[in-house]
Amino acid sequence: MSQAPVLKASIHDVRYFSALLRGVNFANRATVTVTEKGLVVVVEESRTLLGTAYIFSDVFDEFIYHPDTAGDQASQQQQQQQQPPGEEIFSAFEIPLNTFLEILNGFGSAGGSASKKSGRFKAWRKPGDESEGHESDGNAGEGEGDQEGGNANKKARTGPFSSGSERKTGMRLTYIGSGYPLAMILAEDAFGPTMSCEIATFDAEPHLDLPFDSHQMVLKIIFKSSWLRDALSELDPSCDKLTFIGNPPDITDAGAQTARQRQRALLRAKPNFRIEATGTFGNTEMDYPNDREVLESFECISPVSFSYRFSHIARTMRALQTSVKTSLRIDNEGLLSLQFLMPSPMPRMNSGGVTSNFIEFRCLALDEEV
Amino acid sequence: MRFRAGIENVTTFFRIMQSVEKLQKKCIIKFTEENMHVICNSDANEGGIQVWSQIKIDSIFNNYRIQSNSNNEITVNLTCEAIMGALRSVSTSSGVSNSASGSSYETDEVIVKLAKKNDQAVLNFEITGTTAGGRKVKIGHDVRIEVMKPVDVARLSEPMCPEPDIHVLLPSLQKMRTIVERLRTQSDLLAVRASHNGCLRLSINTESVKVDTDWKDCTIPQMMKEGASQDSADEPPPDPEQLFSVLVSVKSFLKFLSSHVVSTTTIACVCQNHCLILYVYIGDVADAGGVLTFYIPAIIDDE
Repeated sequence: MSQAPVLKASIHDVRYFSALLRGVNFANRATVTVTEKGLVVVVEESRTLLGTAYIFSDVFDEFIYHPDTAGDQASQQQQQQQQPPGEEIFSAFEIPLNTFLEILNGFGSAGGSASKKSGRFKAWRKPGDESEGHESDGNAGEGEGDQEGGNANKKARTGPFSSGSERKTGMRLTYIGSGYPLAMILAEDAFGPTMSCEIATFDAEPHLDLPFDSHQMVLKIIFKSSWLRDALSELDPSCDKLTFIGNPPDITDAGAQTARQRQRALLRAKPNFRIEATGTFGNTEMDYPNDREVLESFECISPVSFSYRFSHIARTMRALQTSVKTSLRIDNEGLLSLQFLMPSPMPRMNSGGVTSNFIEFRCLALDEEV
Repeated sequence: MRFRAGIENVTTFFRIMQSVEKLQKKCIIKFTEENMHVICNSDANEGGIQVWSQIKIDSIFNNYRIQSNSNNEITVNLTCEAIMGALRSVSTSSGVSNSASGSSYETDEVIVKLAKKNDQAVLNFEITGTTAGGRKVKIGHDVRIEVMKPVDVARLSEPMCPEPDIHVLLPSLQKMRTIVERLRTQSDLLAVRASHNGCLRLSINTESVKVDTDWKDCTIPQMMKEGASQDSADEPPPDPEQLFSVLVSVKSFLKFLSSHVVSTTTIACVCQNHCLILYVYIGDVADAGGVLTFYIPAIIDDE
């Protein structure tokens, strides 16, 4: 092919990149969309759950995108369809995400140094971090993944500068165009081995589209990811249903004179935000007070209650573990949108106004009538 | 039949058993006047991997005495786990993880001897030590063994292999193991390739992924020349670029890699379309303390 490759990207330390991808690694087939701005990785499950990782180009050291205008017909058509004036140009393909991640961690240094893993992980753990309970629920493979995710997370938070002599995997990625494999070269250092691989790509199939109508939004909460993470990891994996309940904040405080009355009113009042899990062995209810300490923002106009399959919500755990802040939104149809803000790869970039990478999950509500 | 020896290098002995144990539960140990041979050649062995090793008596034992009707050789069949259990009781200052034993005593001496208890042949390990309080401790382990008949011993034979196409000095087995473990999740087959310019390549090739892991500048020992003397000496030098390759099962290769605990130097030989032979040197190569030889049969891919 005489044309320049559609995508050329390189990165000196793949840990952050793989932590982002690991967040949506719950089904093997992922659709990758390349645009000027970066990568969008979409994974879908049972036509109900949609996980999307937004990885902006500044994650990479080098990111060169050449829209494949002279490419083959399939992508041309796609581009014509999807390209009303003003719309971005993009190229899309599908890859086996699990394989991609496994290869990315080929030297065992994409998810933190493997050799020191266990020891470090404990050391970095913050009090109240309940992730361990969750890990033991999954099978061995998953547990490992989680642990690495957690590790990468801690690493990302403290920034790459604190980890001086750590082993790092560098990567160079090339995608020539539709019909070509995704080529990758990995190396740890100049003396060590190099790994070159080609991952088969597939034509992107149209995936589930779950548009979230922000005008019809009935509940919007922004809170620290740890508040949700702790709640979810507390739950028994045998649960099958998870319900999010929101009630508008009480304004009837005016009548209460004394502290006691106020307290009583508080007890009588409906919870502002409640997570309820239903399983074979009983129910679990968790209430969040409408306190700035806990819920950074809480918007709810009328009482809402929507249920979701617990196994779907549990899919978000890996992304939750890495993320710092969560936005939870539900629209009037019950469509849940969970956005997880990922820590910036370099702390100093935060102030520079660099767009933060995030992972979004959308999930359809269970039909209560059935 | 008499056999009695002191074990000087418990750590090495333990590590040899550790690498062998990954292959099969039982193994054959053949004691001769000069060497100890640890052999794994069970047919039940998954993937057909075999180990034939030769360890100098001096590198493990002292005061070694052996006597038998069959050329002063004794061949026994035993469970790896049992012998490891006995060795674990030996408290050494370095190496062997003896957290189980608590190591509340210092080992003075370890004696192993052939004995008979209740009509059952055993290898008796006798460990004498001194506690911190200065008291003497004596620990005995009997490892049940089965002494093999000379007829059966004669039937043991190393696999026949053609002249290897290439020898290559392997990089750190531990590093290789990390990589191969990742590759195992993707493929059952692994291609091991080497060329005369020092390139070693481990590749997998499946429908969804193709991975080549390259090591450059590996040492290629030129030992093959002497063996090939019957061929015309004025053969042109081999093409430095040409890769000699053999396809093996990833699982078998990983079993070999578990010998990283004992290895210092490892040389791999590729016999194209036949097998992969791996010489794992115990201790320094110059000492010639011993060598574990792994044979991994090639898998012939019909593609």
